[in-house]
Amino acid sequence: MRDEEEPAKTLIRVEGVGKTYQRGRERLQVLKDLSLNIREGAYEALMGPSGSGKSTLLNLIAGLDNPSEGRVLVDGTDLGAMGEGKRAAWRAANVGFIFQTYNLMPVLTALENVELPLLLTKLGKSERKRRAQTALKVVGLEDRASHRPDQLSGGQQQRVAIARAIVTDPKILPIVTDPRIVVADEPTGDLDRQSADEILELLEKLNTDFGKTILMVTHDPAAADRAQVIHQLDKGALASQAAPS
Amino acid sequence: MIPVSYNVRSLTVRRATTLATGLGIALVVFVLASSQMLARGIERTMGLSGSVDKVIVMRKGADAEMSSAIETRFVNLVLAGPGIKRGGDGQPLGVGEVQLVVALERADAPDDREAAQVSNVQLRGVPDNVMAVRPQVRITQGRPAKPGTDEVIIGRRIAGEFKGLALGQSFELKKNRRGQVVGIFEAGGSSFESEVWADIETVRSSFGREGIVSSITAQLEGATRFDAFKGAIESDKQLNVQVLRERDYFEKQSENTADLVRYLGIGIVFFFSIGAMIGAMITMYGAVSARQREIGTLRALGFSRTTILSSFLLEAILLATLGGAIGALASIGMGLVEVSMMNMQTWSEIVFSFEPSPPILIGAVVTGGVMGLVGGFLPALRAARTSPVDAMRA
Amino acid sequence: MSLARIAIKNVGRNRFRASLTVLGVMVAMVAFVLLRTILSAWTMGAEHAAQDRVATRHKVTFLMSLPKRYVQDISTADGVQAVTWCNWFGARLPDRDDVFFANIATDPESFLRVYDEIELPPAQREAWLQNRRGAIVGAQLARQMGWKAGDRVTLAGTIFPGDWEFTIEGVYSTKRRSIDQSTFWFHWDYLNDNADLPETMRDQVGWIVSKVDSAGRAAGIAKRIDGVFDSRDIQTLSMSERAMNTSFLGMLGALLQAVDVVSVVILVIMMLILGNTIAMSVRERTNEYGVLRAIGFRPPHIAGFVLGESAAIGLCGGVLGVLLARPMINQGVGRFMEENFTGLFPYFRLEDSDALLALGVAVVASALAGAIPAYNAGKLDVIDALRRVG
Ligand SMILES: Nc1ncnc2c1ncn2[C@@H]1O[C@H](COP(=O)(O)OP(=O)(O)OP(=O)(O)O)[C@@H](O)[C@H]1O
Ligand SMILES: [Mg+2]
Repeated sequence: MRDEEEPAKTLIRVEGVGKTYQRGRERLQVLKDLSLNIREGAYEALMGPSGSGKSTLLNLIAGLDNPSEGRVLVDGTDLGAMGEGKRAAWRAANVGFIFQTYNLMPVLTALENVELPLLLTKLGKSERKRRAQTALKVVGLEDRASHRPDQLSGGQQQRVAIARAIVTDPKILPIVTDPRIVVADEPTGDLDRQSADEILELLEKLNTDFGKTILMVTHDPAAADRAQVIHQLDKGALASQAAPS
Repeated sequence: MIPVSYNVRSLTVRRATTLATGLGIALVVFVLASSQMLARGIERTMGLSGSVDKVIVMRKGADAEMSSAIETRFVNLVLAGPGIKRGGDGQPLGVGEVQLVVALERADAPDDREAAQVSNVQLRGVPDNVMAVRPQVRITQGRPAKPGTDEVIIGRRIAGEFKGLALGQSFELKKNRRGQVVGIFEAGGSSFESEVWADIETVRSSFGREGIVSSITAQLEGATRFDAFKGAIESDKQLNVQVLRERDYFEKQSENTADLVRYLGIGIVFFFSIGAMIGAMITMYGAVSARQREIGTLRALGFSRTTILSSFLLEAILLATLGGAIGALASIGMGLVEVSMMNMQTWSEIVFSFEPSPPILIGAVVTGGVMGLVGGFLPALRAARTSPVDAMRA
Repeated sequence: MSLARIAIKNVGRNRFRASLTVLGVMVAMVAFVLLRTILSAWTMGAEHAAQDRVATRHKVTFLMSLPKRYVQDISTADGVQAVTWCNWFGARLPDRDDVFFANIATDPESFLRVYDEIELPPAQREAWLQNRRGAIVGAQLARQMGWKAGDRVTLAGTIFPGDWEFTIEGVYSTKRRSIDQSTFWFHWDYLNDNADLPETMRDQVGWIVSKVDSAGRAAGIAKRIDGVFDSRDIQTLSMSERAMNTSFLGMLGALLQAVDVVSVVILVIMMLILGNTIAMSVRERTNEYGVLRAIGFRPPHIAGFVLGESAAIGLCGGVLGVLLARPMINQGVGRFMEENFTGLFPYFRLEDSDALLALGVAVVASALAGAIPAYNAGKLDVIDALRRVG
């Protein structure tokens, strides 16, 4: 097989994917016959004008949504063939999410926010806490564990979100699940340059130190430059695919 | 002024919330209106039984016909009193009647002895000329009872409700003596419609009431003759009786029961309306916080605090009045329902209906509106206090 | 931290609204508990009525009495252990139109044997038996009227005209709730031996009460008693005390039903208030639920959060409501009712079982109220929810 000739195998396969939204009588084709492969351990960026379908594609890859046509395969499994419940479990085990608006639970402390995905595992209480603390340490926020999101800056909140995305990682602590993919939708969109850089460093660290496969949507050329590959999306189709200049 | 359509739109946008709150208020108003309608029904049913230009004479100290007894020989003496109207035949328009209650089993009761649902029904022993004194009574089915027999007629509201109380059936007066139902009568919605009428002699001999009547009812020449009659009769120590206007007597009979229903209703509604007001308050606070930005914009555009306050108050009142109107409308439907209940004064069953009236319905809707006003006040105040700068930033 | 904890934390999110809702639930629960207490106080007469006593009255109307010799006839019936008789006296306190209490003539000696749940100090008991003009009054009535043993009371007769003088010889309480504590009992002989009594009213008894040897046989014995008089001129209607009380309640049936319905209506109002609050919270938190779904929580989890929040508010309001209703009923309303509506509510108390029932109802109703918002939150489309900015 072709994979064997390459240094790393292809982890994500997007095969002829189309996505159409039905809005009343109007049909809106957001993605058209799009194909894309991402190797395991890659760090790739998705760019393009607003409305070009970046978030839609990211959601399909993260198993949040079903394509209207084509398939999305991750490590050989067809996400579309899974039921809703199974996909949720799959997400919990394989995907870490980072959003533009951080999306932390405002009522929970930083530590509890990070601990959240662990509630879906069979881990005991003290073990959950230990792991959450370790994850917070990775993002450098161990001293803010008991702060609530509204007591943290935007950059700090985003770091908590990153800790949440990786807390189930076996390389942090040996556990059952292994979120190999981290999807980040404009993770630096709401941040100033310095905070943005800190977040980007962190993402790079996740990629290099923990071997995460990272797919990041961004409007920020400086952010995209950190990626190994930049995909340009336009009107629902891949326009180009290139290494950063 | 902020246009009302703005408020209407806001209510329709938050449909579920509007519906829940409106429904809550509708329920409160429904209970309020229904209880007042029933109390009114009780009063009307009893009130209709008596008229202001009739008198009822009972033994002194008796608070109901049932516990009164007057010797028969006094009947003519009383009817000869001043101001009593005379019929075409020159005879006074008045009757001495015997009133009792008899135990009957409900028609729907099972035959099983221990589960027997025995209820008291009023039995009135009436003389031949009763129809002249009580002209509102009309036979609607069957025929009048033959005088001097054990035939009886029954009020339309108890017909079919008790065992034996149906046309062609009979019930026990005493051993080996049964009252035969030959007719059903209507009496303009009054409490007579819950009575059984038999010949006075039949009742006397069946129940050992020989030589006495329970009460004497007579037609006055005019309502104004009451005082003269009362004065003359009550001053006669030998008679030892009291004289009441018939209307007053029957109204007093309903007092306890109507009051119980009325105050129970008001008490319940008190709690209910606190609940509904809290509901309205929650909804309006929600409406205010959801529109924080809009309010800020309005304030920035130069709308005054008062305008904003009144706009939100209006919205709350609109919502509550709408709910109230629905509740009041639904309560009119209760007008079709008849309930059989014990009259506390006589320990016997009377059938009442819910009587709607414009004041009750309007009062209920207004109460609903007031609940909106009270519940909406604090939220509206918060809206009015919104600082435009803060709101725009939120 | 646990899933339940998140639900609880969410309650505290909009503290003001949560407090208002708890207040609403509390008020509703107080009303609910009050209505249930009215119902159970009303039906208590039937529930606590003695099953081993049979009352015998005139078959056709309670207004007519039975010959005294019927007492003798009943006492020889099989299964009857003791027999006593009573007459409704219906007298009033002169110049006190505002007070009403039952006053009944009975035969003290047999009365105390048939109503063995009556507790009377031996000295008072002896004094009452000895004094033909003696009376005993229930503790409740004594408290209300300020009467104590030794007081003289004059009653104005209505059915039996004249002024009747009594000495209160004792104040009774009861071991069980099968008899009220607000009746005035006196010697039947005092009434019957009165010289002014018309001959037709002499040696007449209003009703006869027999104590039977087993509760299970009461119905059969009642039937047998009526059989004894079947061929006589005056026939009887006998029923166990419980059947009689049930029958009486049947006459109040419509009112009881209304109270019953209304107590459900208040629950519905409560559910509307609570459901509205929860629906508002869900609307505000759509985005958060989307995030939770994205990181792998499933619809049942989300629905669980919402239900948990709803139940927590319901439980809070329920507990507060019951805590408030208890003293309110047992110290306030209940006293008032017992004193002013003795006839209807001889005992007006919040029973522990009713309080527990109310708590259970509060939780179940809250869960139901949260059901629709919970369902809606559960079936939110993840992408849609994420797109909505909180
Ligand atoms: N649930 C939906 N229903 C209807 N239309 C949708 C839905 N989700 C997305 N769209 C449409 O699909 C198109 C692509 O949306 P998407 O969010 O993927 O864009 P994007 O590239 O991420 O843009 P941006 O850079 O602004 O985030 C848009 O035109 C959007 O309106
Ligand atoms: Mg996007």
